[in-house]
Amino acid sequence: MSDTLSTAPASAPLVKWRPTGLLFIAAPILLIAVFLFYPALRSIWGTIYVRQPDGSYAFSIASYLYFFSDSYSLTNLGRTFWTTIVTMVLLIAINLPIAIYLRFKGGRLAVFIQVLALFPMFVPGIVIVYALIRYLGPNGLLQTLLEVVGIGGFQSPYLTPWGPVIGMVWDAMPFTLLVLTAGMSGIATSAIEAAQDVGAGRLRILFSIILPQIKNSLLVVTSLNFLGLFGQAFMPFMLGPTSPEMMGPFMLRTFSTVRDPLQAATQATIVFALCSVAGLAYVRSIAKRRAAELVK
Amino acid sequence: MIGFIKRLDWPGYVLALFLIFFILLPIVTVFLWAFTEQWFYPSVLPTKWGLRYWFKVLERPDVWAAFFTSVQLSAIVTALSAVICLPAAYAFARMEFPGKQFFMMSFLMGNAFPRFALIISIAVLFLTLNLVGTYLGVVIIQLLNTILLMIWLPTAAFQAVSRNMEEAAMDVGASPLRVFWHITLPQALPAIGAALLMTFVWTFYETEGAWLVGAPRVQTMPLLMMSMINNQLVVQYGAVLSVALWVPSLVALLLARRVMGSDSFAKGLGA
Repeated sequence: MSDTLSTAPASAPLVKWRPTGLLFIAAPILLIAVFLFYPALRSIWGTIYVRQPDGSYAFSIASYLYFFSDSYSLTNLGRTFWTTIVTMVLLIAINLPIAIYLRFKGGRLAVFIQVLALFPMFVPGIVIVYALIRYLGPNGLLQTLLEVVGIGGFQSPYLTPWGPVIGMVWDAMPFTLLVLTAGMSGIATSAIEAAQDVGAGRLRILFSIILPQIKNSLLVVTSLNFLGLFGQAFMPFMLGPTSPEMMGPFMLRTFSTVRDPLQAATQATIVFALCSVAGLAYVRSIAKRRAAELVK
Repeated sequence: MIGFIKRLDWPGYVLALFLIFFILLPIVTVFLWAFTEQWFYPSVLPTKWGLRYWFKVLERPDVWAAFFTSVQLSAIVTALSAVICLPAAYAFARMEFPGKQFFMMSFLMGNAFPRFALIISIAVLFLTLNLVGTYLGVVIIQLLNTILLMIWLPTAAFQAVSRNMEEAAMDVGASPLRVFWHITLPQALPAIGAALLMTFVWTFYETEGAWLVGAPRVQTMPLLMMSMINNQLVVQYGAVLSVALWVPSLVALLLARRVMGSDSFAKGLGA
């Protein structure tokens, strides 16, 4: 066996025994098929093929009609869109400057900025929530500090729609920054210097050189953040108002408190459908990258 | 270097100041509260410092019960995840088999779903299987949560092992198993250890799955902390628990990251 392998080209796989590979990946594949894809499809199916009062099953879109005619459900959906989009815009607005700064600047201050910006990665959600309540809440440390320097009239974002926005920006900072930095590392310093030599301004450099280069990173960040934020339950539940609420806590309440699994599954299906665009964009961008790697 | 940023570093100071207020001070607040016995509102710092609440927290039986539940759950989930995922990671890194690209993509597909909507649909299924409110249900839902990490990082680790060394060993007549045991595994081990550590810590703090499927019967540490925050119990309890549990995990995660290199996360997610 070692003879045939040693004559093979260096790029050839070391072990080439077809069924083994499939056997090795069978367990995780089975697990996600049974506990991820199957429940998702089943609950989607269960929302249109519904058990009737007489015990038989029939096609029905009544739960969807209910959702789209119920003003509370619709308000929650609108609130979810608002929160997701505001959070996404803030994430890019905060992390793009940091990524650009880190790409072109070294030194102690840059290290300090990087460490702080990536720090939330090491903070579990429950600690973030607790910290933000104590810091931003009424009579919290931020209010105290502001009053020391003479700024009064602090309105706490805790339990307002801005509460979850702040919590989710905190939480998603490191991921957004890492992806943007990874994309930024491909930009050649010489390209920017050349542009400067011919007199391009900062904005021009940003729009003509930097943004086109990190297009794929922006796509990954936008799609994954959309998926992650749209379905958030924990931050909105802990930091946001109870009514109207985001889809996450709304689904949770419908399932656990109202005990209406059909309506909860309907809400989940609507979230799936709305997120599928972002999901597709993400999968496509990965597939493209993989294809590019294979060609290499 | 680039002239337009270098002239004066005011962007750096603005960013640093923003991050101090946005990231650093909230964390500082937790630490202050953990060592506070009394803190009246207009005062910038606690009015009375002390460790009294540390002893109070350690006296509570519900804290210890939740702690052991969480440690046990995390250990079980991490072990199961390793047994299930490590062979797959090796296969993805070193073997050729039909449908490899497709299966790899299908793992990433798990990322392309909104997480909580998935948890809801799993919970709807668990309802019919009577797994809601059970330990097993929580194990399954947390296990699903770890698969991507446990396949991705070890795959990268196995790929990084030098092929030349493996082939050299083969040339002198070592069996594939021997090569794996003496060459491949030792080189991949630090990264695998890091993945195990991270899986353990993440599972320990996993909240949404345990909340929907486990609560109220399976009480994990994050769920206990949630109820302490929501019921407005003594403020310091949450702070003490945060500091006591989070500092060890912070050290563990920092160690894990040192092994792994900075951008492997982002790369794994398709940046």
